[in-house]
Amino acid sequence: MFSRKPNQASSEEEVLGTEAEEVVEQEVAPPVVTTSEQASSNGYYDNGSRSNISKPSIISEGFVFEGTITSAGVLNISGTVRGKITAKSVLVDASGQVDGELNSEQLVIKGQVKGDVICEDLNIGPLAHVDGNISYKYIHIQRGGKVAGKFIKS
Amino acid sequence: MAESNQQGCLFVGEGVVLKGNFEVPDIASISGTVEGEITAKQVLIEATGVVRGKLTGESIDIRGEVVEYVSATRSLIIRSTGKVTGSINYSEIEIEKGGHLHGDLHNLNPHS
Repeated sequence: MFSRKPNQASSEEEVLGTEAEEVVEQEVAPPVVTTSEQASSNGYYDNGSRSNISKPSIISEGFVFEGTITSAGVLNISGTVRGKITAKSVLVDASGQVDGELNSEQLVIKGQVKGDVICEDLNIGPLAHVDGNISYKYIHIQRGGKVAGKFIKS
Repeated sequence: MAESNQQGCLFVGEGVVLKGNFEVPDIASISGTVEGEITAKQVLIEATGVVRGKLTGESIDIRGEVVEYVSATRSLIIRSTGKVTGSINYSEIEIEKGGHLHGDLHNLNPHS
């Protein structure tokens, strides 16, 4: 007990000491930190936007997502999504399922989609089931694709 | 196939305008304009063909334009130059890239 108390006290002192040191560092550091942060964040941003285009976001098989997805890049759905999806390019794979709104420039459906679809380029695979209102610019339905709903060419 | 045996076939040439209801036992090939109803086993709407009215058949192949109603009990193909407006019933559908589709689409046997 006796030995612990001084230890705790000393550890508290140490903490206080380090905090004080940190404060000092922060006071000294700011201009340097902000410039380096800006530089690094810019660099990261560039990398981020590039990787958004090259690397797809993936909802894997067995994964269920409920909510809104927004992406400037590619989205591959092999699992289930309930909610609203907005992305530049969306692929609903054979095992994929979407319940809800789907907005995409380029859309490939091999699985199941229930809900309203707004897209420019639509490709529906032979095993796909699509049910809902579809607004499109260019459409391609492969033989065997099951489609029901209202089609609007924009 | 149609050229060798034209029994039960209807051919509407380009520039021809036909009005009325037509029951065709075999092939209906439309390059002109038809206003009214066509029922045929096989329907070919060529690129210059236009049908305004109801179109019913087993297999329907559309390169031209159909307005109002299409029902295909077996297969419906809308080619890249094809344009369909109105209510569409099908059991198997294929739309080539570039084909137009504007209206309601119904699957005749959705549980298959």
